[in-house]
Amino acid sequence: MSIISENAGYFIIAVVIVAALLVWAYLTKRMQKDFSTMTWVLIPVAIAINIAIGQIVVTLKLPVYLDSIGTVLVAVICGPWAGALTGTLSNVIWGLTIDPNAFPWFPVAFFIGLVSGLMANAGWFKSWWKVAVTGFAVALTAAVVSTPIAVYLYGGITASGSSFITAYLLQTGQGVVQAVMSTGFLVEPVDKITTAMLAFAIIQGLSQRFVARFPRPENAQTEGGTSQTQLIIALVVIVLLVLFAMFLLGNILGG
Amino acid sequence: MHERLSFFVKRDSVLHRLNPLTKLTLVFGLVLIAFFSPNYWTPQLLFLCAILPLSFLGGIQQSFLRAFIRLILPASGFLFLMQAFFHPVGEKVVFQLWFLDVTSESLSFAFRNATRIAVMVSSFTLFLLTTHPSELMSDLTRRGLPGQFSYVIISTLQILPQMQAKAQTIIAAQRARGLDTESTFFKRAGSLFPLVGPLVFGSLVEVEERAIAIEARGFTSTHVKTSLHDIPDTGADKFIRWIVIGLVLIALTSRLWLS
Repeated sequence: MSIISENAGYFIIAVVIVAALLVWAYLTKRMQKDFSTMTWVLIPVAIAINIAIGQIVVTLKLPVYLDSIGTVLVAVICGPWAGALTGTLSNVIWGLTIDPNAFPWFPVAFFIGLVSGLMANAGWFKSWWKVAVTGFAVALTAAVVSTPIAVYLYGGITASGSSFITAYLLQTGQGVVQAVMSTGFLVEPVDKITTAMLAFAIIQGLSQRFVARFPRPENAQTEGGTSQTQLIIALVVIVLLVLFAMFLLGNILGG
Repeated sequence: MHERLSFFVKRDSVLHRLNPLTKLTLVFGLVLIAFFSPNYWTPQLLFLCAILPLSFLGGIQQSFLRAFIRLILPASGFLFLMQAFFHPVGEKVVFQLWFLDVTSESLSFAFRNATRIAVMVSSFTLFLLTTHPSELMSDLTRRGLPGQFSYVIISTLQILPQMQAKAQTIIAAQRARGLDTESTFFKRAGSLFPLVGPLVFGSLVEVEERAIAIEARGFTSTHVKTSLHDIPDTGADKFIRWIVIGLVLIALTSRLWLS
């Protein structure tokens, strides 16, 4: 059980940071402003979008999940806490209706919403390449948050397909935490960058009048520049991010 | 087809009559005890001596066993096999397959994890089979959960089947127009946006009208709302809740004591 006491510090730090952010958002009344009636009505639709798109992707047999597009959408136009709530309730609903296995993963969905909302607030959801960076940040968070759940609840190897990578890394003599986390770093970026870009495309397709009805329309305002140069920059950024991920991976496996 | 969205099976049993919060406490209690207990055989015993009898008590043994075979057994079976083969612990090799060793330690590790997950998922399934979501939400709202949360859960449960039907319609319509959803990887990936776009834009259109409609019905009003259904909360409910909390504490302290 030494592994628990070693990592309990990180867990407590993460909880304290989130609690501090929550109290700050509550006291400054920013959070109350984010939860308007429009937000409350958008959340169920976003959850349904998450689940319906997740199922379309399964029909198309694509090697990604894309089950948090609605979460990112809410996080961008209604703020991080609305996004975090959408993610959490998505997993609750998924557990209630489709597969009870989804319940324990709700912290991952919580942080996907929170981080994409915070990135959007900081202005990182205004052009293609910035959206790619946001997706990457979300992916890293998802990989880190899902690691303790997979390790302590499932003993490292879960019932999902990517666990074959974890199993392989375990066989090569990696520790459980390293193996699970590097699997996350391998699998998540593709999924989350695609998710963020699809959410961006959807927001671009919405009319400005409609977006303006939500609490944070300024997050969705695009920056200038032709879309072609933007896409080229985005591709370069994605390549750089993949290289960075490989560097991180090397560090984890080496250390 | 509409009411098949939730797991709920309508019966008149002791389990169905319990207060939703009591059942929720029971479920979390079972899961926590299965994970905390220092004894190796606790999850297995819990499954045989608590969850199975409870499913008979609730009169939902058929649906429970069906869910067990369809959902829980494949997941925990897969988990068991993966961990038995790939978890690199132990010296005593039971048998070898190609380069994979199955040791008695990895077998027992895999068996414990698989049964823990089985206990977790099956106790949630038991809860979902005996509790209607709207009953749970109205009980929690009465206890002080903001009404907006129950709105989100209940309204999602209503929107979701419509959305899934819409998704199927869009897939069929786009295929009829010649959209490629089955050939090479790039073709399939390219057909993602033509499917996602109409679905999302179509469902977002209704948001604004719905907001105005529920605003007109006092959605943001802070007054205490009266409820049409009265959900009983008896002394027995409170008793069971305290017993479960006590058992969880015993499991937790014995775990901390022994390790």
